[in-house]
Amino acid sequence: MATHDVDPLRCLYPPIEPYHLGRLQVDARHDLYFEESGNPNGKPVVFLHGGPGGGTDPKHRRFFDPTAYRIILFDQRGCGQSEPLASLDDNTTWHLVDDIEALRSYLLVDRWQVFGGSWGSTLGVAYAEAHPDVVTELVLRGIFMFTEREADWFYGHGTRMLYPDAWEAFVALIPESERGDLIAAYYKRLTSDNPDTRAAAARAWSIWESRVATLMPDAAAIAHCDDRNYTSAFSRIECHYFFHRGFLQHERQLLDDAVRIKHIPTTIVHGRYDVICPLENAWNLHKALPQSDLVIVPDSGHSAFEPGIAAALRAATDKYRPDNDVF
Amino acid sequence: MPSRRALYPEIEPYNTGTLQVSPLHRVYFEESGNPRGKPVVFLHGGPGGGTDAKQRRFFDPEAYRIVLFDQRGCGKSTPHAELRENTTWDLVADMEKLRAHLGIERWQVFGGSWGSTLALAYAETYPKRVSELVLRGIFLLRRSELLWFYQDGASALFPDAWEPYWEHIPAAERGDMMKAYYRRLTSDDQSVRVEAARRWSVWEAATSFLLQRHDHIKHAAQDTFSLAFARIECHYFVHHGFLEREQQLLENVGRLRHIPAVIVNGRYDVVCPLHSAWQLHRAWPEADLRIVDDAGHSAFEPGTIHELVTATDRFR
Repeated sequence: MATHDVDPLRCLYPPIEPYHLGRLQVDARHDLYFEESGNPNGKPVVFLHGGPGGGTDPKHRRFFDPTAYRIILFDQRGCGQSEPLASLDDNTTWHLVDDIEALRSYLLVDRWQVFGGSWGSTLGVAYAEAHPDVVTELVLRGIFMFTEREADWFYGHGTRMLYPDAWEAFVALIPESERGDLIAAYYKRLTSDNPDTRAAAARAWSIWESRVATLMPDAAAIAHCDDRNYTSAFSRIECHYFFHRGFLQHERQLLDDAVRIKHIPTTIVHGRYDVICPLENAWNLHKALPQSDLVIVPDSGHSAFEPGIAAALRAATDKYRPDNDVF
Repeated sequence: MPSRRALYPEIEPYNTGTLQVSPLHRVYFEESGNPRGKPVVFLHGGPGGGTDAKQRRFFDPEAYRIVLFDQRGCGKSTPHAELRENTTWDLVADMEKLRAHLGIERWQVFGGSWGSTLALAYAETYPKRVSELVLRGIFLLRRSELLWFYQDGASALFPDAWEPYWEHIPAAERGDMMKAYYRRLTSDDQSVRVEAARRWSVWEAATSFLLQRHDHIKHAAQDTFSLAFARIECHYFVHHGFLEREQQLLENVGRLRHIPAVIVNGRYDVVCPLHSAWQLHRAWPEADLRIVDDAGHSAFEPGTIHELVTATDRFR
């Protein structure tokens, strides 16, 4: 079936440009990029990107009706257009939660919708549990709650069963004796003083994730891993968070504290063949949030941009759009 | 996407029969295609799955003499769902009896899932009788593979389908799900056997296709099918496939490396994950490994059909 000539994201809103770009100095070191697009008087929504370390992309604006939403994207500490690039200092889940609050008050937003996938779902839940009163709705995709089991699935015993070929390349960089803890082995290399060691590890780390992120192979995502700026921030920050187990107090913190956000309308979208964050993660969060809608997309993996996932995400933001409010 | 090979048209067998393979067991077999063609034997899955007319269609009927048979205790073989005298090595011996009965010198061996296990066990025992191997959804019957599917693994991707399978067993027994099911599948109480068989079989049916097929799940839930399927599968699995050693099939690959072979595995096979096919291929680099990007476990998804038919065409 030749569909190459059609925009694969045609189910999303058309590309738009921001009406406002800005930067916010959140502490002595970190300076964050943010942007606003859509309708300046619309319903505010904040987009939380993945990784951590993935950065935002203009495509991320397209999940939201630009006539209805005031769409806020920002690059989390150390990635995208935020500076310093790939910095791990003062870079934790709780710094990012504080940054979201700093951005909200800077932009004079009272309450907003929180939209995030993958690590964005982790951060979205962490933020909502810390500040439940300022979140109007949650739209979450490719759920990741940072339990040990989830970390072990992707960097240990799960994904490798379906992707032994990609896994072979991922572990090839690490000597046999260090393979018992691949996160630690990669962390050592990603924080090495030797730039070549760092770059090789960054590329291998990023390719592993890109190769398994979509149902069908995505050559463009793998090619993106030749961009050293991107892979450096993505791999270093992601590995740093994994090495520190998301900076959570205990591994089930986000699930246990879900009781704080049971009142927030929530839609969970998850691909059946998400092999990075298996559907079980969404299933468990859905059980912890009985008010949530769980949408299982049968023909999709982890990425936000496969047609079934993209359509389900748009349907969720459309449902929460102001003209659908019955009040 | 380049066009894909489809199955050959439906055909009827030119010969059907049964063979008494032991005092207890009688095995159904059939021949279709060309009586003077190249012989190929089809090994069905499960164990306990039985054959189906569709399975004739992987082979060019003008080129092949297509032999299908129902392994002990399933399909049209009798007694139905019988576990006594039902082991891997009994089935390997049955294949030899059938081959001799049909006057076949050597044949191609084609099998998927448990059919791949049996094909490897047979070819490692009688390598001289095998002209080629076409294997799909590789299953080496190791404890790690069984645990992936019946204890913890596939459950992460199919938590919804997992729930009825898991919740049927009381929490105290969940540490060993296969044993817990075996107790129920061999219970004296028919209703206990039937309910356990249904849940066991539906779990597999719900996870066998890339996109779930409700007709397939419904078929698996039928009592006659599921009783043989679940009882025989579980019987083999709690007995470690009657293998002497965990890695036996992989360790003995040296005996068949000279046999031309194609290995086909769906990328999203969650019943028999690609990991096993990959390890088999690493031990047997001469075999042609074909990974199907858009397929699960079933033999009947378009990309898998394409690779299997291409393989049998190549060997015709």
